[in-house]
Amino acid sequence: MTQSGAPVIRVADLKKHYGDVKAVDGVSFQVERGEVFGMLGPNGAGKTTTIEVLEGLRPPDSGTVEVLGLDVRRHPQSIKERIGVQLQSVSLYPRLTVTELLDLFGSFFSHRVPTKQLIDAVDLGERAKAWSMNLSGGQQQRLSIALALVNDPELVFLDEPTTGLDPQARRSLWDLIRGLQERGKSVMLTTHYMDEATELCSRVAIMDHGHILEMGGVSELIGRRFKERAVFFDSNPRLPADQLARLGGVTRSAQEDGQTVLYSSDVPGTIAALLATTDGLGVEPHNLGIRQATLEDVFLDLTGRALRD
Amino acid sequence: MNTLLRLTVANVKSLMRDRAALFWTIFFPIMFVFLFGWIFGGSGDTKISVGYVDQDGTPASAGLRQAFASVPLLTLQDGSLEAEKAAMQHGDVSAVIVIPKGLQGALAQAKSGTTASVAIQLYGDPSQNQTTQVVQGVVSQVANGFNLAAQGGSAILTVSQLTLQSTNISSVAYLVPSILAMALMQLGVFAAIPLVQQREKGILKRLGATPLARWKLVGSNVLLRLMVAVVDAVLILGIGYVFFDVQIVGNLLEAAGVVLLGAASFLAIGFMLASFLKTEEQATGVVQIVQLPMMFLSGIFFSFDFLPGFLQTVARFLPLTYLGDAMRQVMVNGTQVAPLGIDLAILTGWLVVCLTIAARTFRWE
Repeated sequence: MTQSGAPVIRVADLKKHYGDVKAVDGVSFQVERGEVFGMLGPNGAGKTTTIEVLEGLRPPDSGTVEVLGLDVRRHPQSIKERIGVQLQSVSLYPRLTVTELLDLFGSFFSHRVPTKQLIDAVDLGERAKAWSMNLSGGQQQRLSIALALVNDPELVFLDEPTTGLDPQARRSLWDLIRGLQERGKSVMLTTHYMDEATELCSRVAIMDHGHILEMGGVSELIGRRFKERAVFFDSNPRLPADQLARLGGVTRSAQEDGQTVLYSSDVPGTIAALLATTDGLGVEPHNLGIRQATLEDVFLDLTGRALRD
Repeated sequence: MNTLLRLTVANVKSLMRDRAALFWTIFFPIMFVFLFGWIFGGSGDTKISVGYVDQDGTPASAGLRQAFASVPLLTLQDGSLEAEKAAMQHGDVSAVIVIPKGLQGALAQAKSGTTASVAIQLYGDPSQNQTTQVVQGVVSQVANGFNLAAQGGSAILTVSQLTLQSTNISSVAYLVPSILAMALMQLGVFAAIPLVQQREKGILKRLGATPLARWKLVGSNVLLRLMVAVVDAVLILGIGYVFFDVQIVGNLLEAAGVVLLGAASFLAIGFMLASFLKTEEQATGVVQIVQLPMMFLSGIFFSFDFLPGFLQTVARFLPLTYLGDAMRQVMVNGTQVAPLGIDLAILTGWLVVCLTIAARTFRWE
């Protein structure tokens, strides 16, 4: 068994290549017991490949990969007994009920949680007798998390748990994931939603093109890059970038989701200068606001791209 | 074992709850049995109803009637000329044969050496020319026989009516085991589609993240299909027996063995196809390309002997030819394409080869 204090995941210089494609190219990180660790990045960054190596689904090309203190190459079966993997698709048996699916999955493991308890944990009591194909998107995700918990795992992997869900379903899923952490489970999740990582993760790694670009606590990552706060607004037409860069206090400007964002070390000065400029041009800035820099800004700064592109 | 059982139960439940899958795996072959049973139903011979009007009413005409009644093709319906003509107009009979008065007299005259003749009249339905011709042929034949007998001779050349079937078994008896073979072929080959589907959706890969052993996943799939094979066999043979009087003359254990071997061989073909196919669309297309020619070229719906030479050569390469052949030999004593041992050896060969290829090339993701 893992000693408390020993990391639940230890990865050192992991490489996984497919022909010329370096899906994962020298990644190192650790996840401590009880942590919710997030791996962020756009599609194709190498998140899923990394997580699949950890789950024992793909052999690593090189590097050290230990899960719960066990080498994934030598002990995949023992690891699978003790981890929970969220199935993005639960449609293996679309015509089995929630209860039947949980019973079936439970039978794959030597140690299992009673089905009733799992159904209560993910709040699917009213749909216990419904076919999985007839559940809503949010309910299906909750079921897939329940399926990941059938063996009372020490470590749970969630691969993009809220992709495709409406805001309300996402929030209810977030509560569920926080509950996992409260029950002492370690969680590793991948996501391409920065707000999700900010909400849930104690630490995040930002991944792109097979590399980890940055790693640390969310506020630490933001603070490391941005002493400034962000001033954002819409305008039509857009203001020229060179003109914005000259405004007082502005260190950088960027376009995010059609909004102009100015990173400023002197927010009142920047806003005053901005309003003077727009007045002079006869342009009115809409939706003007101020916020702390976010993970989104960190990602943009690291890669020069917005995450959703 | 517990897991294998539970997976199999899950498979069975899923099938029972899926109407489309149920239709294709169970009701579709049953439909074929009924359809072809009715088309080729009975013992294979068609009867023609004929109105029979005896205006002579003498011992001689009674003898003639007996001659007509003994023709298997005809069903006689006696009545007056008016009644029978009306029946023909209603479509109740296809022709009317009239034996006029004076037959007995003409016969007596012939015996005393003078020539006399009586003409049998035949009313035909102009809308059923072919039937009329057949009846005409029969009437001439009977008349010739009657003439010969009257002159004290005996027939040297006779014609006996045969069905199209060159074998001694009826069409339905041929079809029932053949349709069962077809059902097993489809059961196996179609198994490729859900496998490819589950791989495409990443379900196979995700199951790989649980301690579930892969052989159990495959095993539960095989068990389900073999169970369906047995259900198909019982239903198809049962319907054949109850509705079309097709009796299984062979050993039931032997028959069950052939059913299971056949299902396993075609399942291996399905698994092999699933190893090569990447998308569900591909799978659906290729499965049809594989199963349709087999369905029509393997002597399922008509005997192997009716195929032109080059197609017979093609058929000799198709595994379904041998499953159908084995099935008919074990169940209804049909004439054989190859000896039973050869049939079984070829099926086993397909099973081993396809299974080996599938085991080596199957991708779980």
